[in-house]
Amino acid sequence: MAAPGHGTSNNIGDKIIEHVANSDVMIHFELFGVDLSITKHVIMLWIAAGFLVTAGLYATRRYRKEDRPVPSGFSNAFEYVVDFVRTGILIPTVGKNHVLKWGPLVMSFFFLILTMNFLGLMPFFNYINHGHGGTTATGNINVTAALALITFMAIIVAGILEHGFFKHWKNLVPGGLPKAVYIILIPIEILSMFVRPFALTMRLAANMTAGHIAMLAIFAPIFLLHNAYVGVASVALNVGITFLEIIVSIVQAYVFTLLSSVFIGQSIHPHH
Amino acid sequence: MENLLRFDTGLMIWTWITFIAVLVILGTKAWKPMIKALENRENFIRESLEEAEEARKEADKVAGEYEAMVAKARQEAQNIVASGKETAERMKADILNEAQDKSAGILKQAEVQIVAERDKAIAEIRTQIVDISMAAAEKIIAKSLTLEDNERLIEDALKDYGKN
Repeated sequence: MAAPGHGTSNNIGDKIIEHVANSDVMIHFELFGVDLSITKHVIMLWIAAGFLVTAGLYATRRYRKEDRPVPSGFSNAFEYVVDFVRTGILIPTVGKNHVLKWGPLVMSFFFLILTMNFLGLMPFFNYINHGHGGTTATGNINVTAALALITFMAIIVAGILEHGFFKHWKNLVPGGLPKAVYIILIPIEILSMFVRPFALTMRLAANMTAGHIAMLAIFAPIFLLHNAYVGVASVALNVGITFLEIIVSIVQAYVFTLLSSVFIGQSIHPHH
Repeated sequence: MENLLRFDTGLMIWTWITFIAVLVILGTKAWKPMIKALENRENFIRESLEEAEEARKEADKVAGEYEAMVAKARQEAQNIVASGKETAERMKADILNEAQDKSAGILKQAEVQIVAERDKAIAEIRTQIVDISMAAAEKIIAKSLTLEDNERLIEDALKDYGKN
């Protein structure tokens, strides 16, 4: 943090950005000329994935053995969320018949993003010193862009699997319109094809980063003013914002998953 | 700010690797079994409800049939009781009539018999009186009278008797 007396607003701004950005390279690692260095966000990805896989395998251990298991305890809670994704996101968008095909992808989106969002809320990674930062992996546009690119590919694959290669591209624009309309429509549809994953990328990354920036900005007056009352007010406010961030974490995981599922569903059932 | 928007191929590739690992492991081991289990349970619940509905309808039908049967049996029982009562009444009336007829017959027969017995007794008494009279007359008159006198006396005596 800024040292007393040197706390200019510019300085604080830099500090805040440093806190929400990825860390410096922790372990340098290169493969076939591609820089695959390990940073805090990579480690957070792994922690989230490791935790999710462990929890998921533990919760579903009975589901692999029995046809109609009766869930209890943790399995029950896990099943509630899975069923929420199934009935709240999958069935209305991709349709009941495609749930088994697209369910794993959509559920992996939801659970992995949710786990990473929650992991980012834990004020722990700031203390691992390899450069500050590394607040939330999903606050990094590289992570969200990679996820959105998977959605982008899934949209195309879903359409091709359902309608064949050429029919899928034809489905992008509605048929039976005057030719002049197509001059406008085709570029718009192509643009929208790329805008969708871009919007997914920015929405998730910006939302996950914004909360952290807000919290750090609320903490900043403590270091600028050196006043105990300000400290009490800042902490009280930030406790409230932490609760808000819990909601934002769930909502953003839901929104990313829902939109991905909606796009995949539109590709399977073109409403033109 | 450039920190936040820095392009990082390595992180993207790690994201893909991690995501695909999660997708493959949980997709086969967790999501699919759970989705299948949820679908199975849904189907099971729907089928159970349908079966329950079917069973309820069947039970209602059977109960209806049973009630109709009971009602019919009750009606039949009532008919049987009613016809039994009627038969009993008729039989009672018949028996009474027959008994009355029989008793009347017996009384009549008894009367006839009594009359016959009385007549017979009277005739016997008359014969005995004649004999006694004869014997008494014989004793009183002894052999003093002729045959003609005897006959006349008897005739007289009989006349008197007849008058009495």
